[in-house]
Amino acid sequence: MLLDRRGAIRAGLAAVAALAAPAVLGQARPRVVVVGGGAGGASFARALAMGGGGGVDVTLIEPSKEYYTCFFGNLYIGGFVEFASLGHSYAGLAVNHAINVVHDWALAIDRDPRQVVLAGGGRVPYDRLVLSPGIDFIEGAIPGWDIAAEARMPHAYKGGTQVALLKAQVAAMPQGGVFALVAPPNPYRCPPGPYERVSMIAHHLRATNPTAKILIFEPKEAFAKQQLFEAGWSDHYPGMIEVLPDAFTGGVERVDAAAMEIVAGGEVTRVDAACVIGPQRAGRIVQVAGLTDATGWAPIDPFTMRARADPFVTVLGDSAQPGDMPKSAFAANSQAKVAAMAILVDLLEAPGFAPRYANVCWSLIDTDDCVRIGAAFAPTPEKIATVDGSAFLSAVGEDAETRRTNYLASLAWYAAITNDMFAGSPSAAATR
Amino acid sequence: MSAQTRRKVLALGGAAVVAGLAPHVGPARAGEVDARIAAFTGGAVIGGSGVTLSIAALVENGVSVPIAFDAPGAEAVLLLAPANPDPQAAIFRFGPRAGSRSVATRVRLAESQTVRVIARFPDGRCAGAEAAVDVVVGGCVI
Amino acid sequence: MTTIIPRVRVPATAAPGEIVRIRTLLTHPMETGRRKGPDGVVVPRWIVTRFVAAFAGETIVSVEIDPAIAANPYFEFDARLEASGVFTFRWTDDIGAVYEVTQDIVVG
Repeated sequence: MLLDRRGAIRAGLAAVAALAAPAVLGQARPRVVVVGGGAGGASFARALAMGGGGGVDVTLIEPSKEYYTCFFGNLYIGGFVEFASLGHSYAGLAVNHAINVVHDWALAIDRDPRQVVLAGGGRVPYDRLVLSPGIDFIEGAIPGWDIAAEARMPHAYKGGTQVALLKAQVAAMPQGGVFALVAPPNPYRCPPGPYERVSMIAHHLRATNPTAKILIFEPKEAFAKQQLFEAGWSDHYPGMIEVLPDAFTGGVERVDAAAMEIVAGGEVTRVDAACVIGPQRAGRIVQVAGLTDATGWAPIDPFTMRARADPFVTVLGDSAQPGDMPKSAFAANSQAKVAAMAILVDLLEAPGFAPRYANVCWSLIDTDDCVRIGAAFAPTPEKIATVDGSAFLSAVGEDAETRRTNYLASLAWYAAITNDMFAGSPSAAATR
Repeated sequence: MSAQTRRKVLALGGAAVVAGLAPHVGPARAGEVDARIAAFTGGAVIGGSGVTLSIAALVENGVSVPIAFDAPGAEAVLLLAPANPDPQAAIFRFGPRAGSRSVATRVRLAESQTVRVIARFPDGRCAGAEAAVDVVVGGCVI
Repeated sequence: MTTIIPRVRVPATAAPGEIVRIRTLLTHPMETGRRKGPDGVVVPRWIVTRFVAAFAGETIVSVEIDPAIAANPYFEFDARLEASGVFTFRWTDDIGAVYEVTQDIVVG
């Protein structure tokens, strides 16, 4: 009988819930709301649900039903991974960890009654709030580059559609055409990211369009892993890539997406495809919550990742001012674990551990030629600081086997972090 | 943590970049620096004023470091990175169309060191300036 | 195949007697001969050794270049101009390649 069957299913669900939350059934559990389901937010939600043993009510607010990682997007551009392999469902967080995943936009934070205001009209109350919305671009920083222009000059610096668009535009370049990348000023998400992207585009062009050229409009005096990239470009893509520093050009003044022009120091460069990665700041919700300072990023307590401006709000990942840590997925995941521990200590009086952070960034230059940089970090009262002696960086001229081992390690890391974020939800690729 | 401490920390990572590839500063290189200077000055005494040198005191990456000098009236300027495997960076010689003796360029610095500039004037007089630069990651090998 | 493009930034016009700032950039790897390539073999030394900037056949500045000048040599300097004419910028490297670019300027 249908009613009986439905009842049986309900009983089954209750049993799951009871397993997940044995200690607190029937009690009011503290409510932790997470905004942003990326490397910071999703990792945090899962770490909190697991560490809390069902003692905490976890809600994750994330507009995307399927999340495409920004990291490894460059490898898709280079043809090393499938687009679908970058997409991940939140079902694992809901099913395996009883996390309430709400697909909506957080519009505002009401810090007095402690509520998140959703675009869909609802309000979600919280005891502790975690904001991990990633980056936003500073509007108007590059005249001519706005949301409409992003269709012709994609940033491809948030995962998914923009990355697919950029790859398609590179593939459509005429033979011998010009691709330009406008690099961002510090600080920004994924310091080696723009240069790995150039490497991956060069890898694609070498095979399909070997007389094409790549121009980098570079506002920084030096960039991450510069000597490794320059040596790699010279070895693998000789003569294809030119770096035009602001000191030489006078800096990018504006772009014209309709005419596909980049104007720097009064000189117009016509291009066939372009990626513009504009100046960045904390994700919008961190701004409107009033947690940022004049830098555009949110100051945090280095021991807990709590916002300096509000002890009930934690800011993770790219939106935070991370001291010596770079803005990366690895860093955000590492911060998520420290933050989850701090909130469990706070809410459940769980035992704490000494906070430690880590980061590794891999960059693929060409097939099996992968370089890495990394360090361990620990909190000091002023900032998250590099641990003495922990920093490492690939060497120029090291052997091919080391570079290939780095590549394999990066693939293993991708599998591990996405499992950490999505609790074993199959990627879209695996379901095909 | 101070910038100073951080530099030391990162310098360990940077050391791996140059280890085994760049020889360390030794007497041979000091001798080469002296020889380069003598060849440039013709043995003239190097005075303390007449040239200014601008370079950052701390750079993250030695791969490309902006540097500028100004030596009003000089006929030639020698730029040295004494701790590099090849310590001489460049000699600039000014011609009749020079509008100034102010030049900006970029050097690569293998390690932390005191960069030197020596200007030679038409009357044979020479002037020098120097600036200490802390380099987090060395840039000599590429 | 390597195609090296010399680039310069020079004003289009100037007044007689004016001093103009010139910026030059040559994308060149400046291989020191001290690093190994991916095949484990040392990449041969390949250095830009000389740069000369001239106006109407007269030298502005000439530079004797050594490996401590960073890859993609960049120079910024001043020229004094009395009349319209043509700039010539010439780079020479140690495999004998010459890269040259000329640029007109209207003075008056």
